[in-house]
Order: sequence, then C-alpha cells, then structure tokens
Amino acid sequence: MVDAVRTQGLYKRFGQQVAVGGVDLVVPRGSFAGLVGPNGAGKTTTLSMVTGLLRPDGGRIEIDGHDVWADPVSVKAHIGVLPEGLRLFERLSGRELLMYGGQLRGIPLDEVGRRADELLKVMDLAEAQDKLVVDYSTGMRKKIGLAAALLHNPRVLFLDEPFEGVDPVSANTLIEVLRRYTASGSTVVFSSHVMDLVERLCDWVSVMNRGLVVAQGPLDDVRRGRTLNEAFLDLVGVRGNGEEGLSWLGSPA
Amino acid sequence: MARVSGMTWLFVRLKLSLVRGGLRGEVGKQVGFAFSLGAALLAAVAGFGLLSLIRFAPPDVALDLVSAAFAMFAVGWIVVPLMAFGLDETLDPARLALFPLTTRQLATGMLAASATGPWPIASLVALSGGVVALAHGPGAVLLGVPAVVLQFAFCLTASRLVTTALSGVLRTRRGRDLLAVAAVFGVLLFQVPNLLINRGFSGDPTRILASAGDVLRWTPPGLAAHAIADGGLIGVAELIVVAMAVVVLGWLWIAALRHALVRPDASSQGGGSVRRSGRVPFGRFLPDGMLGAVVAKELKYAAREPRGRVNWIAALFVSVVIMFSMRGPDGSAGPGIVVGPACLAAVVIGLQAANSFGIDGRSLWMNAVVFSTPRDLRTDLAGRHLAMAVIGVPLLTVVSVIAALVAGDAAWALAAAPVAWGVLGVAMGVGALTSVTAPYTYPDRLNAFSGAAPGQGGQAFASSFATMLVTGALALPVALPVLFGLTWWAVLAVPYGVAAAWAGRRIAAGIGFARLPELLTAVSRPT
Repeated sequence: MVDAVRTQGLYKRFGQQVAVGGVDLVVPRGSFAGLVGPNGAGKTTTLSMVTGLLRPDGGRIEIDGHDVWADPVSVKAHIGVLPEGLRLFERLSGRELLMYGGQLRGIPLDEVGRRADELLKVMDLAEAQDKLVVDYSTGMRKKIGLAAALLHNPRVLFLDEPFEGVDPVSANTLIEVLRRYTASGSTVVFSSHVMDLVERLCDWVSVMNRGLVVAQGPLDDVRRGRTLNEAFLDLVGVRGNGEEGLSWLGSPA
Repeated sequence: MARVSGMTWLFVRLKLSLVRGGLRGEVGKQVGFAFSLGAALLAAVAGFGLLSLIRFAPPDVALDLVSAAFAMFAVGWIVVPLMAFGLDETLDPARLALFPLTTRQLATGMLAASATGPWPIASLVALSGGVVALAHGPGAVLLGVPAVVLQFAFCLTASRLVTTALSGVLRTRRGRDLLAVAAVFGVLLFQVPNLLINRGFSGDPTRILASAGDVLRWTPPGLAAHAIADGGLIGVAELIVVAMAVVVLGWLWIAALRHALVRPDASSQGGGSVRRSGRVPFGRFLPDGMLGAVVAKELKYAAREPRGRVNWIAALFVSVVIMFSMRGPDGSAGPGIVVGPACLAAVVIGLQAANSFGIDGRSLWMNAVVFSTPRDLRTDLAGRHLAMAVIGVPLLTVVSVIAALVAGDAAWALAAAPVAWGVLGVAMGVGALTSVTAPYTYPDRLNAFSGAAPGQGGQAFASSFATMLVTGALALPVALPVLFGLTWWAVLAVPYGVAAAWAGRRIAAGIGFARLPELLTAVSRPT
C-alpha cells in the first residue's frame, strides 16, 4: 500500500542554520500520527515543506504517491492544513471564512453552506459564526482553522500544534472530530509538545531532534514498554537531571 | 488636603521615574531617549523663538498669529496622546482603578503627572513666547504670565478629558480600527489649508489669517492671546473666562474619570457581528466559485480592514487634491484639464494593486494551499482586479463628471471617464506584475503611514514608483491623443485597459505561481 506521506532526504537551511537536515518521514495511510520533538527540532519547517508552503532545498515529498512540488494538482485538492500561528483572514467572520475556503476550492455554494453549518455546529461555533475572526479567542481560532481544513474532506490532514493554548473543552471537541475523521480511513499528521496527548491519540509516532527523524514507527515500537515521555527524553538526550543549583527553592524542612 | 497634595507629589514622582526609566535598558533605547530629550529642548527653544519673533509683525497680525499658534497647541495636545495611546502608562485610569484613591486625588494627581516631563515643559516654554510677542507695557507682562499658565492648563485638561472619555473605546479593537481611519482623516484635513494657500484661493494669506483669527477670537486660546495683547481690564475679564473654561473642562474630566473607573472594561468582549455573507451589497451578482469568493473577500476587506479603508480614503483625497490643483489660475481650457486629473486619479487608485497580496499578509497561505496551477493565481488576481473596479470605476466616473463641471463643459466627462477607466486597467496590469515580482509586507500596526515591514521600505517605494512610471508610459498611447483634443480616441481606452490588465494577469500568474512560497514569505514578514 502507498504511504500517505513519504519524504526522502528532505533538506532546508536558513542562512548558516540547517533547519531540516535530511528527513525521511513516513506516515502510513489511515494512521493518526504524532510528530514530536523539542523546540527547534524542525517540525514546523518539515510540515511547511510537506504542505507546499515552503520550498525545500533538497529531497522528495510524496503524498499518496504524488510529488508535492512536481504535481501540485494531484496533491493540493486532497490535503488539509492548519499551520502554526493561527494566521487566518482576520476580517472575515467565522462563517465567511469557511465559505471563502470552500468556494476557493470550487465546491458548489449550497454544498459549502451545508458543510459550514454542520462544522460550525460540531465545533460549537454556531453562536460566534457571524463574529469577525479577529475577535475570536485562541480556542475558537484553532477550531475554525480546523473546520476550514476539513471543509473539502481531505485525505490527509496536517496540523501544526493544534492543541497549543486551547482550553480542555475545545481540545475535547477537536479530538472527537479528529477521531471520527481517522476512523473512516483518512490520515492525520500533527505536531505537538504534549507527550501524554500523543500517547493517548496516536498509533504512529515520529520523533524529530535537531533537524532529523531519530525514531519512527507504531507507538508501541517507539516507546518499547516505557512511557512515551521517557522514550522521548532518552531519544533526544537530556543533559542534567535538574538537581544541581536552586538549593534555596521550596519550603525549609 | 494634605493627603491630596501628598498623592499629587507621588504621581509626579511616578511620572519622573517613568521618564527616567527611558535611560535604562539597551543602548538603542537610551539613544532614543536622548534624541527625544534633545527634540523637546529644540522644540522649546524654537517654539519660544518663533513666537517671540511675531513681535515684529503688525499688532493685529501678531494677535491673529499667536491665537492660531495657541489653538494649534491645544489641538496638538488633544490629538497626539490619542495617536500614541499606551505610550504613557500613567494616562490610563483603568490601571489605577484598584488603588484606594478618591476621584479628586486621582484627578489632581493625573493632571500634575501629565504636566511633568520634557514635552509638557517644552510646550510651557514655547507658549511663554506668546508673552514676548504680544505684551506691550508692564500690565500686559503681568497678565501674560497667568494667561500662558491658563492656556497650558487648558491644553492639559482638554487633552485629559478627551483621552479619558475615549479610553474605553481605545482599548477595544473596533475603537482602534476607527481611530486609525480618523487619524488619516485628521492628517489629510491638515493639508486642506495648505492646499488652499498653495492654490491662492483668496490670493492673500493675510486675509485667511484674519478670518482664522476671527473664528478663534472667542475660543479660550484666542481669549488668552487677546488678554496678553490687551493688558488691561478687558484682559483680566478674558482670563477669568479662560479660567472658567479650564474649571468646566476639569469638572467634566472628573465626571468622565469617575465613569471610566466604574464602567466594566469591555475590551475583551470583542466586536459585534457582521451580516451574513451572500447578503453583501453585490453578493447576488457575484459568480459562484473562486472568482466570486475572491471578489467578495476583497470588497469586505476594503470595508472592514482599516488599512483597506485608509487606502481608499487616501486615494479619494488625492484625486480631489489633483482635481483642484490642476485647474490653472489662467483658466486654460480644453479637455486636458478634465482628462488629466481623471487619469491621475486612476493611477493613484491603481497603485493599490501594486502589492495586491500585501493586504492578505500572513493569511495568504489559505490561498497558497489551494492554488495548484497558474490559472488559479490568475483567477485570484482577476478577482482582486474586479473588486477594485467595482469601487474604482464609479469613483472615477464621479471624479470625471465633477472635473468636467468645474471646467465648465459636462460633455468632456464623456471622454475623461473612459480614459480614466482604461488607465486604471493599465495600472492593474502593471500592478499584477509588481505584486508578484516585488511583494512586501504591510505593517500590522495602527500606524497607517509607514509603508512596509522593517527592511522592506525601499522595496515598497521602488515597487509603487515603478508601477507609477510604467503605468504612465503604457497609458500614453490612449491618454495623449485625448489630452490634446482628439476626444473620439477615448473609445479605444477601455478595450486597451482591459487588454493590459488581462496581459498583466497572465504574465504575473506564470511568474507568481512559480515563486508562490517566496511570495508567501515576502508578505508574511514580522512587523
């Protein structure tokens, strides 16, 4: 079976700094995949290149067997993206944003309206749908961003830190929607810092460190009996155990 | 009373330590502080010197000039803190709401604090130049000192009143949006007298000054200036009126302050709702699909995004300015005086298309993840052009008709309007090319006047300038014959413009699609 995402030797540098130094990312079709790594590991850069928003300096990217940069027509219609930083069209209302996205993708107007109504309801945004996105809270922005990414029913969904700064109620909504989505055989790739969440949601994990994939595979293969957090700390090599210094900190015995 | 004065002293010290705070921190900040201190000193000396020099003018002119200067100080004191809201932490009463202070303590304290600092001292020094300019005799000098102090107090209380009354509004996104547009209006309005004088509207600056003096005569700044010039009993009476005005403003300010302190902070509650899409004015005429989506989005942005509104207002204003300044005083006739301004207005409006993607900025990725062929980008550009035409074409028609009426022959509008539409088309075609070859980030801030993100200013200038030059050159074949009286040539203008816009889009889409990621980076720079 063709993998949902497969990169070979993906490479990107900014000036002197190598952000991504030859990444071979693999995500099988139908998996709920977590991309984890410390800050600066190259997760965002990798996702930007995979989704066609940032030009790689080298390497190949295939989504469902189609090259992202050589054959964008076959790729772009079938992927959904929620980039980091919640950059949305601020001066459209939540509903207008969905309508715009849907029409941009050539979905007929009444179909877009129907899907937007359902998404807004599921995301619990029905009340705020006519407010401008600029006035939305972080959780609302993540939810409307996810709704926009799902509107055209993509086969692969890329989410960069979708749970960052989201309240537990909104996070739960996001998770429910994503679970339903992967249950039907679609693929989700998301980056996160929160190991517990990745451990709870994902069946496939890719661990990045300093611009490289250092471990990759089904969740149980990566953690090998430990918690994912322990496995992760081993993989990225933690220096110091936090016991030196700070002797003054805490209540006196 | 002792508590009040103690508290006042505390506020003054708070302000002084805030001013001193500018001295700590990085070198850049210190240099900035030294620069601002130097500028304040310079302003004080120059203001005092210039006002003093008015002494050499004839007495009635001098009085009018000082009245105008005093009035400008008052306006400056009201407007500047509004633009730079948040610059001075002591200004916002909400920050002090949690402290156990009476309104009276708060009022005197904040007033004293706002009189402290380099810029207030500088304006006090500059204002006292008015005494030198107007006082003849010891009585006038004696009245002059309280007159200057009262004028200063008037500036302070008026400024406090306006900021406090608006502070609730200024903390909301909507209020700041509104203010960004209002600020542009303010700056443009300042150009009006300039324009009138340049045009020689009345032919005589002293007459304008005299009429300004008449208007200002009974305002507090005018009264204060007059009191110094009078130096007698009438002057005393006038100063009493000014003092009363200050007291009334102070009282109003205390009322506003009391209100501001107990009113809940609405800044986090967000703005209101907008009407459903599909019910925008042109909604039902728009085609379904990508083109219609882009047009609808662009029209909404022109109305809702402050930078969009600012661009259109500026374009409109420049058109009006051109219209008036092109009419030569010798009354030269011919279609040129109608066609010329209309074409220039078209260029000014078309300049907005020189960085089409800038207004989308960081949200452009939403388009980029969809566009998979150059054709998509072409449709996007076409949508942007169509939206611009929806607003620009009626506007240019109005400009042409007014210019023709002013010139005395309404029929010339029939030639001017099509040529202007054609030039707009050429400008859009050229703009499509600069949009993809030299894109830059619009700053995200309230400030509507700095053109681009740090480091891209030169590029922004170059791209607008190139658009203007190339548009001018390409528009010559249609505009020139009409300018010289070959009016039937105007029928060619619209097809020519449409063709130019089409060709521009076609070439730009090819270039732009190939460098879509670079385009995205260029318009998403941090500002």
